[in-house]
Amino acid sequence: MAKVLVVAEIKQGVLKSSTAELLSKAKAIGAEAAVVAIGSNIEGLVPELVKAGSDTQYIADDAGLELFSAGPYAACVVDAARQFGADLILFGFSESSKAAAPRVAAQLDAACASEITEVAADNGAFQVVRPAITNKVVQKVKVNTDKLVAVVRAGAFEADESIGGTENVVKLDIPAPDLKAVIKELVSDASGEIDLADADVVVSVGRGARNEEGIALVKELADDLNAGFGSSRAMVDAGFMPHNKQVGQTGKIVAPSLYIAVGISGAIQHLAGMSGSKVVLAINKDPEAPIFNIADYGIVGDLFEVVPILKEELKKVRS
Amino acid sequence: MKILTTVKKVVDVELNIHVKDGAIVEDGLQYVINAWDENAVETTVQLKEQTGAETTLVSIGGGDNTDIIRRCYAMGIERGIHIEDPALDKADSFIYARVLQKVFEQGDYDLVITGKQAQDTDNGQTGIILAEYLGLPCVSNVIGVEVIDDKHLKVSRAGDAGTEIVEVELPAVITVDVSINEPRLPQMRGLMMAKKKKIEVMDLAALGTSAEEIGCAAPKSEVIEFMESEKRSGGRKFEGDPAEVTAQVVELLASEAKVI
Repeated sequence: MAKVLVVAEIKQGVLKSSTAELLSKAKAIGAEAAVVAIGSNIEGLVPELVKAGSDTQYIADDAGLELFSAGPYAACVVDAARQFGADLILFGFSESSKAAAPRVAAQLDAACASEITEVAADNGAFQVVRPAITNKVVQKVKVNTDKLVAVVRAGAFEADESIGGTENVVKLDIPAPDLKAVIKELVSDASGEIDLADADVVVSVGRGARNEEGIALVKELADDLNAGFGSSRAMVDAGFMPHNKQVGQTGKIVAPSLYIAVGISGAIQHLAGMSGSKVVLAINKDPEAPIFNIADYGIVGDLFEVVPILKEELKKVRS
Repeated sequence: MKILTTVKKVVDVELNIHVKDGAIVEDGLQYVINAWDENAVETTVQLKEQTGAETTLVSIGGGDNTDIIRRCYAMGIERGIHIEDPALDKADSFIYARVLQKVFEQGDYDLVITGKQAQDTDNGQTGIILAEYLGLPCVSNVIGVEVIDDKHLKVSRAGDAGTEIVEVELPAVITVDVSINEPRLPQMRGLMMAKKKKIEVMDLAALGTSAEEIGCAAPKSEVIEFMESEKRSGGRKFEGDPAEVTAQVVELLASEAKVI
């Protein structure tokens, strides 16, 4: 039986939904599933890690692991993978994962696959499916090594609530800090906000909002809907929105139930980050904007006019 | 400081890409410098302007790379190496990293700058694996670089919890994001001058290695089939009185799409 190690995704002490999704996938392919959790003050998460479907919990809990640092983080995953004898190591989709997964693969002499949407074990040989060329094509990739490290695209797998696990905690040795790449400071702009990666509704703002006033208007819409608030690259480059709000190929990949694109024209790099959304609503004053080619519902109009009306109409329907 | 910058020639993603019988239809494709690598080149040239760094670029594969290497010369890169060998046709990120390791070891470099991913594979692995092979520190997804002194850089990395300010000791590898800078447009004069500059084209033997040593025959993974991606098709577009169409769309979101 294949052995799958899932790397738990923990943000600000909270276990993210990707962990249960990946563990469910591990069990669905008939594998024995373990989880590795890395951070500071995370021992309290063990019951959740068990409930999510893990049968062994490798825990690296240390104050020195509070801020992400790819070297020590990868060392913990490699340690857990060796102890468990993992054939497949699954990471959720995040910048931390993208930084750590290739290191883990290099150290374990495993193959590495980024942004996969499917993985199957065929006679012990793994095959994965993943988008490539800015989401324009899909590749089927054959793995030639017996071990694979993969980062799973956001929203690729669903959590199966009916599975459960057993508690078997293994404490990992704490690796030495990376003295050659030292994090001096974290400029955080994400605390207290709804995480884009797990928001059920995402509202994103684009160049059409023009300025702070426009952004504030669109942000109100996001707040009304309890939605994650994202951005096109144009607004990030113009300095209006922080980097970690950027939705697209080079930023966050989101797959919410409802994605509302406000004043976003729809460059392919942006579409690559949100085309997995269930329903897309676009508001743009240019009827030829490419975003309308992929939106389920498109409102052609000036966002400064449409958004206030949309807020009122949504309030009516939701009350 | 000596900087090694990697550049890959990749398919132009702004054009349509079609798949037939499990392969990409070559007809009509155009090839360009990878967008992230163009940012890596710009980062390199800015560091050259600030510190007088020596600049070398290396490009692996891609056939005739004269055009993209000349473009980099016109942007300010001084030396260009192109590694071309049929043994690299099926190279994965690990094989690319092994080749880059060979190039690095011959040059006494202080810093490697790569784009954070290539727009053809979207893997984002090579630079990080190279750092592992070389035993060097690595910071990926970099959105800002400052030189502290001969041996240290201060880099900003776009991380999950915000922007991480990292002090990194050289030699090191950094992989840059597109938002780090706006690559300069090469000027006509620079492009003319670039035509006179030599490009060092080498195969694996000229690099002092072999397909066996690099492990070319055993890629850890290989693409066996391409498929069209599922295209979202546009639905309905509503034009007219904003109050009317907005009310109509909200009604549909509730009753038809059932998402609110």
